Amino acid sequence: MQRIVVPGEKISDGQLRLENTITENNATYSTVVAIYDEEKKTLLPLEGLWYPRYGDTVVGVIEEDKLNTYVVNLNAPYKGLLLTKFTEIEITTGDVVEATVKELDKTQTAMLMRPRKLSGGKLLSVKPSKVPRIIGSGNTMLKELTEGTGCSIMVGNNGIIWLKGKNVDLATKAILKIEEEAHTSGLTERIKEMLKS
Amino acid sequence: MSGGENQELIINGKRLDGRMPDELRPIKIEANVLHNADGSAYIEWGNNKIIAGVYGPKEALPKHISDPERAIIKCRYQMAPFSSLEEHGRSGPNRRSIEISKVTKEVFENVVMLDHFPGSEIDIFVEVLQGDGGTRTAGITAAAVALATSGIPMRDLPFAVSAGKVGDTIILDLNKIEDNSSDADMPVAVSPRTNTVLLLQMDGELTRQDINTAFSMVQKAGTYISKLQREAIKAPYEKIKDKYNK
Repeated sequence: MQRIVVPGEKISDGQLRLENTITENNATYSTVVAIYDEEKKTLLPLEGLWYPRYGDTVVGVIEEDKLNTYVVNLNAPYKGLLLTKFTEIEITTGDVVEATVKELDKTQTAMLMRPRKLSGGKLLSVKPSKVPRIIGSGNTMLKELTEGTGCSIMVGNNGIIWLKGKNVDLATKAILKIEEEAHTSGLTERIKEMLKS
Repeated sequence: MSGGENQELIINGKRLDGRMPDELRPIKIEANVLHNADGSAYIEWGNNKIIAGVYGPKEALPKHISDPERAIIKCRYQMAPFSSLEEHGRSGPNRRSIEISKVTKEVFENVVMLDHFPGSEIDIFVEVLQGDGGTRTAGITAAAVALATSGIPMRDLPFAVSAGKVGDTIILDLNKIEDNSSDADMPVAVSPRTNTVLLLQMDGELTRQDINTAFSMVQKAGTYISKLQREAIKAPYEKIKDKYNK
């Protein structure tokens, strides 16, 4: 049984260790708008922000070229930093890069590693809470998108998507459809049909 | 606060607009009305028409106002020049809007999980398009919905409503005329999950019993307002879901 919960709504008695919840007086409450599955005991946020985590893939734009670091705009309250000495490729301000989160500190920065320059293409910004649905479980949805359109897609956990190749417009439309209908079931089938026609 | 007009405010147990003492004005809330804001809500509360928008969290600027331990909240309450019968013709903050911005900010500082976003800021904008008494409480109610739709984690969804006193009668949800000529006016914001009072202001005089009566009225009204808030947040999702369930 799935139901939509709002901030402050009780999701269960007893303490559940879930993200985006608080426990008080031996009961668990949601802190965001989310879908709670009572059988699986999972909370899937419908609206949410991106918290950088070790190993996250991000897509961002180089904002500033300082002496020993590049500052990467991640479209989030956090900034990404790329140390020049670990950056083997040549990048300048305005370039789009794909990188992995290496470490985090208490201030608003995320250290990045393994940058890869993404030249050309188009950037698309979606809600970070919908990214898992765009990728799909076991990359199924992303596979569908790339195979259906013949377009190369790079999805960052921070909600920025890079698209390049054929049928970029169709892929954009499909991604926006996924973003809007992320909480409905049977979405993969509908996207499949949309890309076929 | 003139006592002479009190008899006219309640006639045969009914108020000027035909409401009972403990009756709310009709309320309608809609979430996600602005495309560019991270979260937004529109509320119609009687004749009040208010839009709330939320932006952030983003980098706090200027840098010296940022707090390295938690996020800061900035709030701007403003009445449109055409919003009310009284003069609000001049733009820019005045004494009243600065005060309401401050109390609104303090309501949300107690429910938003600020420690998740050190060094950043969250902007809340409350714009009154049409005002008819009780705009600060309606604004807080709308801003809570806007914050929830923006995805910022919150401990609770607060609501606000005002209570007051006319003669010997305690009344709920005062409109402009009652606000101006009642014996007392008390806006209250409550966090319904824990029943914590987040805002309590008072104009005029109330006895201890009056306040107890007023609070029980506020709590009763709160269950209804909270229900409307929750429905407003869920409505856009239910709509898309229903489209495919048919």
